[in-house]
Amino acid sequence: MTRHTLSRISTIAEMQGRDLGRRRFALILLVALPLAFYGSLAGHASDAIVPGGVAMAFSMAGAAIFSVLAARAADQRLVLAGFPPGELLAGRLIFLEALSLPIVAGSSALMALGSSPPRPWILVLAVAMVALVAVPFGLAVAALLPRELEATLVLIGVVGIQLSLDPSAGVAKLLPFYGPQQLLYVSLGSGYPILAAMERTLVYAAVLFAVSLYVMGRRIRVRRPPPPDVPG
Amino acid sequence: MSPEAVRVSATGICKGFGGKAVLEGAALEVRAGEVVALVGENGAGKTTLLRICAGLIPAESGEVRVKGSIGYCPQEPGVFELLTAEEHLVLFGRALGLPRRKALAQGQSLLEGFGFPLGERGAARDLSAGTKQKLNLALALLGDPSVLLLDEPYQGFDRGTYVNFWDHVRGWRRDARAVVIVTHMLAELNRVDRIIELPLHPSRRATEHGQRAQR
Repeated sequence: MTRHTLSRISTIAEMQGRDLGRRRFALILLVALPLAFYGSLAGHASDAIVPGGVAMAFSMAGAAIFSVLAARAADQRLVLAGFPPGELLAGRLIFLEALSLPIVAGSSALMALGSSPPRPWILVLAVAMVALVAVPFGLAVAALLPRELEATLVLIGVVGIQLSLDPSAGVAKLLPFYGPQQLLYVSLGSGYPILAAMERTLVYAAVLFAVSLYVMGRRIRVRRPPPPDVPG
Repeated sequence: MSPEAVRVSATGICKGFGGKAVLEGAALEVRAGEVVALVGENGAGKTTLLRICAGLIPAESGEVRVKGSIGYCPQEPGVFELLTAEEHLVLFGRALGLPRRKALAQGQSLLEGFGFPLGERGAARDLSAGTKQKLNLALALLGDPSVLLLDEPYQGFDRGTYVNFWDHVRGWRRDARAVVIVTHMLAELNRVDRIIELPLHPSRRATEHGQRAQR
């Protein structure tokens, strides 16, 4: 990776940050949404950190979806000007994953204080894994369904199904947040292998990012016409 | 380089959408230092031909060749609603390989030329339609492209800026740039070197006539 590539990716990440920084209410919701899920269950459910942690996917995948959809009118123009599509997505991925760090730290600390799970560090890891896979999940959904309503409904559907399914169900294991969900149970004392859950999450995140790269790459690619034959 | 060098050459371009033909055998040639107006009825395929020449969409058949860098100004401003004009300049400048300071200097000079209020620090969504269009046009000109493909670039301009736009067109011609302007402003066609009229595709003409007859 050259210095110019890094510089272009960091400019995309910077502009993504400036864009999101002006959506103050959205930023508040990003932080509040997972905590609202947790808070609504904390009083009466011993495993409230599981829906609270998985709900982080609504925030981070939602932010990823809108980072792509807000750029619809300009992305292909940026590619025409010289940005490879992969760098546009990489810049957004890097910014959103970085943004998730303080949100993960804050919300997992609050959930650890509220529920006192036996393995609080695994809780932090689990919520970080939710964010890690949620960003490429959002990028892939936005690439495949470049309309707000459809993309949002798919996000709600997938995360909602992950939350409502019994984790032992076969379908639950196919969904992107199964690995982090298992880690959340591990933080409460379950014996699911930690490395296997992390591995599953990392593979899922890599595949989802590859899907978003492929689909977006095709959608916004520019077929630069060759020069005329006659020397000019 | 000879000032008459062919910069854009499109021949036999065919394109349709949803099974409906829009362009059939369309052609366009623009030389360095030449300003061509692309005119035609709504739906004749002017924007489609421009997008094909820019490489944004593929033609179903035909050949496009372009010599030099392309500056493309879409009809609808292709901007980020929550970024300021300066942030757009930095972002698009980076795509073109321009350092931040150079992109800002060049971009601000372009914006100033179009009468963009330089003190304006608001996000694009807070700009008036005409001011946003000035930003849209300046982004197309950033990096001094040798081929300019402009799709109704003066939409929303006030009278003064509109007149000033045609002064810029004269300057681009002097700089030996190849300029294609999609326009409906037939009164200004004496300011261009050549006019290419795209006819409405016969299948669409038949449909439109049928619809009119039904009314």
